[in-house]
Amino acid sequence: MARRGWVGAGLGAALVGAVGVGLVVAPTGAAAAPPLPPVSPEDLVSSVIAADRPALAGEVEVDNALGLPAVPGVPQLANGTSTVRVWSGGEDRGRVAIPSAEGERTLVSDGTTRWSYDSRERSATRVPVGEGRGGPEGSDAQDPTTAATQAVATLRQSSTVAVDGTAEVAGRPAYQLVLTPLPTERTLLREVRVAVDAETRLPLQLTVLAQGSGEPALQVGFTEITYGPQDPALFAFTPPPGTTVEDAPARDGQRPDGARQGTTVGDGWDTVVIGQAPQEGQGQQPDGRQRPESAPDLSALGTPVTGPWGTGRVITTAVATVIVTDDGRIAAGAVPQQVLGEALAR
Amino acid sequence: MTTVEAARTRAPLGRLAAAEVRWVLRRPRTLVLLALLASVPVAVGVGIALTGGPGGGDGDGPGLVAAVAGNGLVLPIAALGLALTLLLPLTVATAAADALAGEAQHGTLRGLLLAPVGRGRLVVMKAVGVVAVTVLAVLVVAVAGVITGLVVVGGPDGTLITLSGTALGLWEAMGRVALVAAWTIVQLLAVGAVALAISAFTEHPLVVLAAVLGGLIVFGVLAAVPSLEWLQPLLLTSGWGAGTDALRDPLPLDDLASSTARALVYLVVGVALTVWRMRHRDG
Repeated sequence: MARRGWVGAGLGAALVGAVGVGLVVAPTGAAAAPPLPPVSPEDLVSSVIAADRPALAGEVEVDNALGLPAVPGVPQLANGTSTVRVWSGGEDRGRVAIPSAEGERTLVSDGTTRWSYDSRERSATRVPVGEGRGGPEGSDAQDPTTAATQAVATLRQSSTVAVDGTAEVAGRPAYQLVLTPLPTERTLLREVRVAVDAETRLPLQLTVLAQGSGEPALQVGFTEITYGPQDPALFAFTPPPGTTVEDAPARDGQRPDGARQGTTVGDGWDTVVIGQAPQEGQGQQPDGRQRPESAPDLSALGTPVTGPWGTGRVITTAVATVIVTDDGRIAAGAVPQQVLGEALAR
Repeated sequence: MTTVEAARTRAPLGRLAAAEVRWVLRRPRTLVLLALLASVPVAVGVGIALTGGPGGGDGDGPGLVAAVAGNGLVLPIAALGLALTLLLPLTVATAAADALAGEAQHGTLRGLLLAPVGRGRLVVMKAVGVVAVTVLAVLVVAVAGVITGLVVVGGPDGTLITLSGTALGLWEAMGRVALVAAWTIVQLLAVGAVALAISAFTEHPLVVLAAVLGGLIVFGVLAAVPSLEWLQPLLLTSGWGAGTDALRDPLPLDDLASSTARALVYLVVGVALTVWRMRHRDG
């Protein structure tokens, strides 16, 4: 009796273990598409532009299969999945924590100052929020409906814009806004999908699909999101003792060096940007806070290539191609290598 | 038959457990391992205090060690992370190997199995010994780490600077250390339960040590193979980086919770196998 009881207990425990493994291992199943009232792309875009930035806390997962070459000092660009924690206090206040195995990079904006703290370097960079700064909605004085209609009309010249059903993202019902390039566009991209929260009209997920692959080349989206007021202490930053504090000049929305902006060839999806490669000693960019080790050395990347435009190196990824010519020009675009060559030869 | 069972006097479990713990802690190998464990944070702390920390550069120190410089309260957490890779599992596996396989090798397990003691009580008693060593080993590292961190490395006004750049007061920092210690104990108990199960199946203590340490190394190799990524949620070791999360602010509990759940599964399976095997063991 007692013996049988123990055997039963043992078997039961083994069963618990197996079920436990199942629960721990099992991925959360894909939810069915939630029913939502239909909406036109114009209305969806205008409501996104008009929506307030809500206070929220969440986790953003970046699933990167872009196939970028490994650049030292920028581990986030490498293929793989990384999770970023974000908090927003509405308006201009926010906090982003980018964890790595042995450290963390923290970005805090309290509305007037932006801080970037790197735990591995023990350094903090302070950037005052410039006057002329502002996203597309800040600089556009026009009303959201006009802006959205114009934006969608511009997009329609080169793509199909549609609201393609609904999805559940981070537990929120969301509309799927889908941009598909017209067949005439010579691009590496197949589709760009944006999931928009049906209630708050906050974009929750961006998915980029490339030609010839069923898996997204890039997916950035919330895996967890909670709307609601956040602890104000999250949006204040005091450099801890022992931290090197650097002041970076204010960024006022436009590059100080107009010559670096380059020229564009083509329009729509097969736009090619041609610019000048950063020269030696010129590598310290105002946005150097993203790359502490100045500009990465591009000469070691890519494979040699020649064409009617000269010789250079080509760097191919899932969604974009870059050619760095030996005479210091850079051509980049979401296009095949051939289109870049034609643009350079022009 | 029933009257005899009713009349049987039972030794109180507390006394049995105390005897087992006393016996385990008197073993020189246990004491040597505990001393080794205490020396981990002391060595790291003294090394950082003497050299001023891993010098600048890209901050490519091993693990969290780079974060300890001038921030002493990180030391216990970093030391627990370092010791968790090999030394702590070795300590726990040693205790588990001696508990059943060691007794079997000396022939003393036969006496315990023949004695009128329930097999369940025997397993409980042996498990208590392993748990005692586990808890003690983690506490030794944590306490030695806190003392070395405060005395040798020092910190800014007794605060802990998190990886997120915020400063935590002494008591909150102690809470974080306690959290990591508790989490480490659960992870090690999972190792201990599996080791005890292996120990119940063999009479060679070295087999247990080899299986546990070899298993950890194999897990590490499997985790490093990109095409075996789907295996990650099954591997106990793949959650062992979560201790670092205690140094982030606000505290993210996701990874700590999921690795704890995984450890509990290993624990349940290990205990179940041990109980089942000891029910059927003849000597």
